[in-house]
Amino acid sequence: MKRIAFAIVLLAAVGARAEEDIESRVTEFKLKNGLEVIVYVDSSAPVVSTDVFYKVGSYDEQAGYTGLSHMLEHMSFKHTDIYKPGDFDRLVDSAGGNNNGFTSDYYTGYYEDFASDRWETALKIEAARMAKCVFPDSEFESEHQVVSEEQRLQENRPISQFYLQFGAIAQLVHPLRNPGVGWPDDVRRFTVSAVRDWYQRRYNPANAVLVIAGDVRPADAKLKVEKHFGKLAGTPVTRADYYDLEPKQIGERRLVMRRKVKVPQVLIAWHTPGVRDSGYVAGAVLGGVLAQGRNSRLYKTLVIDSGLAVSVGGYNWVERDPDLLRLYITPKSDSFIPRIERLVDREVERMKTELVSDREIEQVKNGVLAEHVFDRDDVSGMAFLLAANQILHGTWREYKTYPEQVTRVTKEQVRDFCRRYLTRENQTTGVLLPQKEER
Amino acid sequence: MNSGDFKYQNADCRMQIEKTGIRKLSFCSLISAFCILHCAVAAHALPLYRDSLPNGLIVITFEEPRLPVIDIGFTCRSGSASDPDDRGGLANLTVSLLNRGAAGMSGDSIASVIDFLGARYNAGAGLDQSGLSTRVLAKDWQAGLGLLSQMIRNPSFDPKEIEQAKSLQSAGLRRSLDNPGFLVRYEFDKLLYAGHPYRKNPYGDTLSVAAVTRGDVAAFHKTYYVPNNCFIIAVGDIKRADFLAQVKAGFGDWQPGVVPAVPVPELKYPDKLRVKLIARPEVNQTYVQFGHPGISITDPDMLATRLGSYALGGSALSSRLGIAVREKEGLAYDVRSVFDRSRYPGSFWASVQTAKPKEALELMFHEIQAMHDSGATQAELTRAHNYYTGSFPLSYSSNEGKLQSVVLIELFRLGYDWLDKFPERIRAVTLDGISTAMRKHLQPGHYIMVVLGNVTKDDLGLKDVEWIE
Repeated sequence: MKRIAFAIVLLAAVGARAEEDIESRVTEFKLKNGLEVIVYVDSSAPVVSTDVFYKVGSYDEQAGYTGLSHMLEHMSFKHTDIYKPGDFDRLVDSAGGNNNGFTSDYYTGYYEDFASDRWETALKIEAARMAKCVFPDSEFESEHQVVSEEQRLQENRPISQFYLQFGAIAQLVHPLRNPGVGWPDDVRRFTVSAVRDWYQRRYNPANAVLVIAGDVRPADAKLKVEKHFGKLAGTPVTRADYYDLEPKQIGERRLVMRRKVKVPQVLIAWHTPGVRDSGYVAGAVLGGVLAQGRNSRLYKTLVIDSGLAVSVGGYNWVERDPDLLRLYITPKSDSFIPRIERLVDREVERMKTELVSDREIEQVKNGVLAEHVFDRDDVSGMAFLLAANQILHGTWREYKTYPEQVTRVTKEQVRDFCRRYLTRENQTTGVLLPQKEER
Repeated sequence: MNSGDFKYQNADCRMQIEKTGIRKLSFCSLISAFCILHCAVAAHALPLYRDSLPNGLIVITFEEPRLPVIDIGFTCRSGSASDPDDRGGLANLTVSLLNRGAAGMSGDSIASVIDFLGARYNAGAGLDQSGLSTRVLAKDWQAGLGLLSQMIRNPSFDPKEIEQAKSLQSAGLRRSLDNPGFLVRYEFDKLLYAGHPYRKNPYGDTLSVAAVTRGDVAAFHKTYYVPNNCFIIAVGDIKRADFLAQVKAGFGDWQPGVVPAVPVPELKYPDKLRVKLIARPEVNQTYVQFGHPGISITDPDMLATRLGSYALGGSALSSRLGIAVREKEGLAYDVRSVFDRSRYPGSFWASVQTAKPKEALELMFHEIQAMHDSGATQAELTRAHNYYTGSFPLSYSSNEGKLQSVVLIELFRLGYDWLDKFPERIRAVTLDGISTAMRKHLQPGHYIMVVLGNVTKDDLGLKDVEWIE
């Protein structure tokens, strides 16, 4: 026991050192137009990653318009006052950079990674995207088709379809139920004027976060940011808050989907609290003890001991609002599913009565602490993490303090979390089954 | 969805990736004379050192003290190309079993140590190699390396673990085959590489994996996991001398062996377009992959081919194929072409997923023919030069990137001046060089093609075809 405690102290020391280091590496400021800027210095490689995240995503989309943020993300690469379609990519490629855009639940992000002698190009591109996009009718239709093809790719993967349908059943009304790409009928109905309107309402400095990470000097970065973004007009955007929108679940739900698949899948989830509930972190530890790695309870039970499943995974994915603790189980055969469900029930009930062991809880905490240090290997990844935390929590420092919160979780809190949330009436179970061949 | 360049927070965020839209897919001491056969200290500026033990094990250290983290990678120079014909998937199964019990420790015990250290661990095989890697906090690297040496040298191959690993690999393969994109690639490789060791997918097929016995695994391990067929790399907050001493302690008495060569027949270009059509009425797009034999990563034309291929189909947005098929016509989300990089000549292939296959294929055929006939333009060459020389520092700015770069250099024996000379070699590629390479290595029309979807032969508008039933 002492040895374990000692290891934790050591790890915590490493984590703490890394965090102090992060604090000293970050400079943050806000432009008069409202643009929040974070500069993270890491000069160990001559590379700079520039991320602009907008506070808009599938979270903000109204019924009938799901996927609109994603459609806008595609269109925002097309045409500005001075840039023509393809110019952004040509600029980035010809300067030897990487770039991309992505749309998530809570944010739409863009990034450019460059060698540090040419990173200012990223600011030119992102300032143009922020304020100068034009959306000619003539360019809409082909990109609309591209997005439709992207959606078909998702539809044609049975496992993707299963996960999307599951999300929509587990969450009755909260926008987290919607896919980032949107529901097919909504995507079909998009118009260029809807895209223009969404851009006007959501893209401006007061609704964005800019992170510059890598081999930069903060003073120089600030000058450059002022130069490219300082003159853009900022209009504060009031973002709807759906934190408490999802009604309490009052009965078990079930999805049974039959598709032409060779391998069945089981997905079980429970609603868990969002970040405004200080106890939410216990869910991460619970997810780890239950279903992460070979030493997790469910892996041992389902894969090693009973041999009913080939793989087990799971986590409490909560970015901000209440979301779901999910378990992913790949059964060896669909006929084993009832037994698998019974064993999951048994293990969940056991978590409610017996405290987890010291080793189980410390193992999960060690993983979180080590990953926190590992994150810093990649400045591009760090830019992403800081931008995402700034948007989700209003401060990038949440990234810094999260491991501390995890280390404070007690065995009793894990048990109580399980008792409170992993209940039958709060559960949704999905099974993907092979379709019977027609004869 | 291929996560590609998409940067995500948590490796477990499968569901989130499914939910997320992205715009484009993208393509990831004691140095004493008695213990060292020879020390080839790199002459370039990077703190990168290559040593070898008397038994032939290559030991590479990339000193990078910026973080208290060390990545250790171990590579065996034999992958699925070395699988026996009826045991496809054996290389991957073997490397997957190394952490499932070794030297008296059970799989649970090994997992317990790895998890408790908070370490990352990955293992898998490709066509040309089998490898594992671990990332640990710097203070734990000796414990990590000690464990790896036991796993690599003395795996238990417990029958129960073998059965579990077979089930997992087989389920992974079958799950992948539910994805039309994977199925098309899988079928394409089987046709293009008929009679060639690269036809063996690293996951094997369901029958070949089921047939694997403990004897097969043990034999593969005994034959190929010998020090003269392997190398080990550390990148991070570590000193060459310390790493070398520890590797020597863990692997110094490992006995070398004779590694059989893999017979590799020459790949033949098809006489004409040969097409396999897989009818899938439930799929609302048509998936197409076509191509022909390509070149080896060590071919003198590789860089010229790479630059030409970048202009042709390197990006779904800004390459010729991307502009023609996606940007102008909106026919697809992803369209690309690639020359594989492998030890023996691999393939050139192009792929698209579209609701309008006839139109997309016409455009793709046209662009490939034009690149074959006329090569790249000056603007494309300049852009390719800038792209490759500029993005080069990005590719190895992280420890993980450094590890991957060094694995490639050592695996394919690209030479340790590769990192230094790469930009210069890229700039030395001329328009003439690209034209010559494209004329030589693209053979328009001589394609193997696999098509999957709710389409008939007539829907594709192909001419002069030999259909593969």
